[in-house]
Formats: sequence, structure tokens, C-alpha cells
Amino acid sequence: MRSGDSMNRRLRISGILVIIGLLVEALCLVWSKPIAFVVLVCLGGALIGVGVLLFLYSLVSASAHPANASGVAQDKR
Amino acid sequence: MPTIAIVILVLFSAVLAGVMVVRPAITVSRAGKILAFGVLFFLPLFSLVAGMENEMQRSESTAFCLSCHIMEPYGKSLHIDDPAYLAGAHYQNHRVPADEACYTCHTDYAMFGTFKAKLGGLRHLYIYYLGKPPLPENIKLYNPFNNRECLHCHLGARSFEQGATHNADPSTLPAIKANTLSCVSSGCHDVVHNVGHWGDKVKFWDVGS
Repeated sequence: MRSGDSMNRRLRISGILVIIGLLVEALCLVWSKPIAFVVLVCLGGALIGVGVLLFLYSLVSASAHPANASGVAQDKR
Repeated sequence: MPTIAIVILVLFSAVLAGVMVVRPAITVSRAGKILAFGVLFFLPLFSLVAGMENEMQRSESTAFCLSCHIMEPYGKSLHIDDPAYLAGAHYQNHRVPADEACYTCHTDYAMFGTFKAKLGGLRHLYIYYLGKPPLPENIKLYNPFNNRECLHCHLGARSFEQGATHNADPSTLPAIKANTLSCVSSGCHDVVHNVGHWGDKVKFWDVGS
């Protein structure tokens, strides 16, 4: 159960990072100033990158923990 | 892809990611796992690449270069109503694409020319925000203007190959082609932007007239 919770927590954090990154990207796309590109890459890109990596890590860590299988099963119930 | 389409895609991706944040438990099912992969991996990366590509395209536009106020006089020089002004004559007569005028002349037509131009742009950005930007009239090219950039379009053109001035001396044309005699050297096409040296007599072309 605890493992399932931690995976959910990672998914949430990953989702929040991706959302913030995407919102930064959307702002940069409508903000027609030269610095917009740098903000898009450095801030938006970093947030999205970290979010995606955290999502991938949550997948890997979930499959590495056999206990998670029971966590998922409990979730199913 | 137009900017508005990318913005819609980005916002759509953000909304779907929001669903994952609110209900992470949907990843329990097989369909939920596939959705999570799409929403938290594929869509964000695709949106990021599309957004970067869009910004790269926009960085080639004349409007983008002129959005730094230090470049305003250079933008104004494109509207000088005098054919002796090389930049203005090229811009007004569409010898260069009007919406990519700066990029067309100031990018090396060589391997990695675009890449170098982008790096140069980042350097400009650094100087603009964190350094001490020079006055517009004191801006100089990093390297002397290479004839290769002019010859990219003019080489083989009748006006260039058979021009009276270019052929007055038999050594002139080969020297231009070998880049040993600059197109913008004194006495030739030396009036380019001439920012800071316009005087009072210079007139501007009214686009609407």
C-alpha cells in the first residue's frame, strides 16, 4: 500500500512539474521577446524534463518493488 | 505548425496532465498506464520540441530581431528612401525576404551557419540583459562581412557578372569572388545601415504610400 502511495505521489509531482513546464512554454510562445526562447528552454524545458524523468523513475521503481504489485492490487479493490 | 496550434496542444497536454495529478489511481488499469505514458512522457516532449522549433523559426524573423530596442535604428534604416543605402534597397525591393531580412544577410551561408547565428543570438541576449550593450551606432560586426553572403544570391546574376563597374578593371570581379575585395568596401557598396550618420536630409519610405 505504501509503495502504491509513493508511486501516486511521484506521479502527482511529475504531473505538477509537467503542467508548470507546459504553462511556461505556452507563455513563452505568446510572449514575442528574444528572452522567451531562453526561458522556454531553460525553465520550461527543465521543468518538463524533470517531470518526465520523475515519471520514468516512478515506473522503474514501481516495477523494481514487488511489494508494489500488492499495492496495485489493493488499489484495484 | 502555426503558433496558435502549438499553444492549444500545450494547453491540452497540461489539462491531461492535470487529470493525472487529480487522479493518479487511474494508472492502475492498463489503459490508464498507456494514458499516463502519453500524457507524462510523449505529449510533453512533443510539445516541447514543437515549441522550440516554433521559437527557432520565429528567431529568424525581422520582427524578432527588431524587438530589441537597440536594433530599432537598424530596422528604421530598412525604410530609408535612398537606393544608396544597401540594406534599405534590398529590403524595399524584396531582394531579400522582407520578413527574414536580418537573418538572410547576417547568417553565414556555410555549414553550421545557422547554428553559429543562433549562438551569436544567445551572446547578444547575454550582453543585452547581463552585460553592457553598446549604443546602436557603435555596434560592429564580429568579423568583416564576407562576400559569400552577397554572392549566394548575386553570383551568376547578369547585373553582377556584366555590371559596368564590376568589369571596369579585369581584376575586380575575380577579387570580389575570391573575397579579397569586399563588396562593402569604401567606394563600392559602403553605405549599408550607417546608423548614427544619417543627418537631417535622409527621408523614409512610407510603406503605405
